[in-house]
Amino acid sequence: MGFILRRLFFYLAAFMVAVVINFMLPRLMPGDPVTAMLGGRGAMMTYDQIEALRQTFGFVDGPLIQQFFSYVSSVFQGDLGTSVQSFPETVSTILGRAFGWTLFLTGAGTLLAFIVGSLLGILAAWNRGGWFDSIVSPLSLILQATPQLVFGLLFMFVFGVTLQWLPSGYAFSPELTPEFSWLFISDVAAHAILPVFTVFIVQLGGFLIPMRNNMINLLNEDYITMGKAKGLSQLRVMLNYGARNAVLPSVTSLSMALGMVIGGAMVVEVIFNYPGLGTVLYNAILARDYQLIQGQLLVMTLFMLFFNFMADILYLFLDPRLKHGGSA
Amino acid sequence: MSQQSALLQVNNLCVDYITDAGDVRAVSDVSFEIAPGEVFGLAGESGCGKSTVAFSISRLHKPPAFISEGEVLFDGKDVLAFSDQELQAFRWAQCSMVFQSAMNSLNPVLRVEEQFCDVLMAHEDISRAQAISRAKELLNIVDIHPDRLRDYPHQFSGGMRQRLVIAITLALKPKLIVMDEPTTALDVVVQREILQKIYQLKEQFGFSILFITHDLSLMVEFCDRIGIMYAGELVEVAPAKSIFKQPLHPYTYGLGQSFPPMLGPKKRLEGIPGHPLNLLEVPEGCRFQSRCEFKHARCERVATSLKELQHQHWAACHRHDSALAPITAEEVSLCKQQ
Repeated sequence: MGFILRRLFFYLAAFMVAVVINFMLPRLMPGDPVTAMLGGRGAMMTYDQIEALRQTFGFVDGPLIQQFFSYVSSVFQGDLGTSVQSFPETVSTILGRAFGWTLFLTGAGTLLAFIVGSLLGILAAWNRGGWFDSIVSPLSLILQATPQLVFGLLFMFVFGVTLQWLPSGYAFSPELTPEFSWLFISDVAAHAILPVFTVFIVQLGGFLIPMRNNMINLLNEDYITMGKAKGLSQLRVMLNYGARNAVLPSVTSLSMALGMVIGGAMVVEVIFNYPGLGTVLYNAILARDYQLIQGQLLVMTLFMLFFNFMADILYLFLDPRLKHGGSA
Repeated sequence: MSQQSALLQVNNLCVDYITDAGDVRAVSDVSFEIAPGEVFGLAGESGCGKSTVAFSISRLHKPPAFISEGEVLFDGKDVLAFSDQELQAFRWAQCSMVFQSAMNSLNPVLRVEEQFCDVLMAHEDISRAQAISRAKELLNIVDIHPDRLRDYPHQFSGGMRQRLVIAITLALKPKLIVMDEPTTALDVVVQREILQKIYQLKEQFGFSILFITHDLSLMVEFCDRIGIMYAGELVEVAPAKSIFKQPLHPYTYGLGQSFPPMLGPKKRLEGIPGHPLNLLEVPEGCRFQSRCEFKHARCERVATSLKELQHQHWAACHRHDSALAPITAEEVSLCKQQ
């Protein structure tokens, strides 16, 4: 229990640091969002109007410390300000709408990459130097080194445009309304295949190679030999004795990857016009929607920390040595 | 040297390693046997092939090592001819094993209970509850409280972990237990305690032991018969009592001189000169020739083989071709002066 509390405290501190940075960055820049938004357009506005807008966007007057506390209190109330681009929608509303899609898209792709990558890595290590290892391992490195952009465009062109097997954009067909029906769910699934597969294929090597290497190191451990000597089936030795130990570092990679892709699937989302956080961020950057960018960064930080915390908890179950504070 | 009653018979065993520098014969033409209830010791310096021999009995080698020639007969059945299923059923049920670093031979992420149950349930048609009650009995045998079954390996001390491993080796009442340096990682007090436990269990259950160590004093005390290995070959096999009193192979003599006696006056220890043989450069003739005090022309040309020179005492040395002559200290010092 002490372990979880300690970690929780650490993540809270890390989050506060992120909040401070998030608060300071725009204030370190010359001008403010209102000037940035209106300055280039030659708009005619009175001082009062500008002041009203500044207040709407959270740039209250007063000393920095007062501004900070006002910012922190609104962050903890879930108020991330108002979007400039799609005024008067709040940042929370926009992010909330997009968040589900991103979690679905990148979560599915990353989890799939973790599961398939780990299994292939286990097999490659078990048959080290065999034909399977010699084909799969270098191939996964090539896949990993290829940018998402290439696969995204390739899949869209081949399967979406040329063969027309799968829809090439959006999360669901525009003529459908979101509802809990087979029609809608299968439509969403069909739209998700290409982007999910793109996320999957790019991350595959990132899980396969470390798993393979961990496993190869572990296969020399005495408990593996003892597992074999015990007359257990190959599968049992491979999974319960080998993989069960080799997977520990991969859990950390998984949590990092999940945290990263919340913001990092931008390329895939933009290619497939997927209405997730990546597309939101992309449009926000194009429109210089500072409030939205800021909010998005904060959400990304939050999720990075959240998934790390999840990994810590998962570790407790996977590695008994942590729970009992053992030294071995 | 075959007996009908032998539990384990190893005949002309050869194990090769395929390396980039060439093929290495790590175990060359090794033959020995173990009778039911017997403790047979294998001794020799690091890298001489002791563990490689031990691994052969359950066919545990991983590439690049493989058994290239020979026979391993267990209860008359050819282990090397077993199918995968037969081998799986044979392992642990007939021949279990305590590993070199038994400290690390327990899976760190599985409860001790699981490591008893998996082996019991893999070999016997019993329920989990039955397996757990068997595991509790086994813990009692090695003096560990049965409540600790739910603990993980890291929660035990080194000596306790070793006893856990021994309890697991007993799980299926095997006929042979291979012990590959079972006490190397432990301090002498715990070492003694473990060995006494093993001996007591052997008396109780009647299994045979293949005992591997480089601690000769321990070995003489513990084993019925001892085999000495050098550079992948078995060079001498004899009853434990006589092998160091009347060594017939110069290497055995050297090993015996490398340990301080418990009684008698202090004297300077004599090591064996030279270095262990590089198995990539095996010479023609005897493998020990470059380090031998008694080398003569024949040793450089003709390979040696084990011969029964006295009753139950086998050695592979050309020295005894004409007449049998145990090695004595006077003779060695005479050779050195020349």
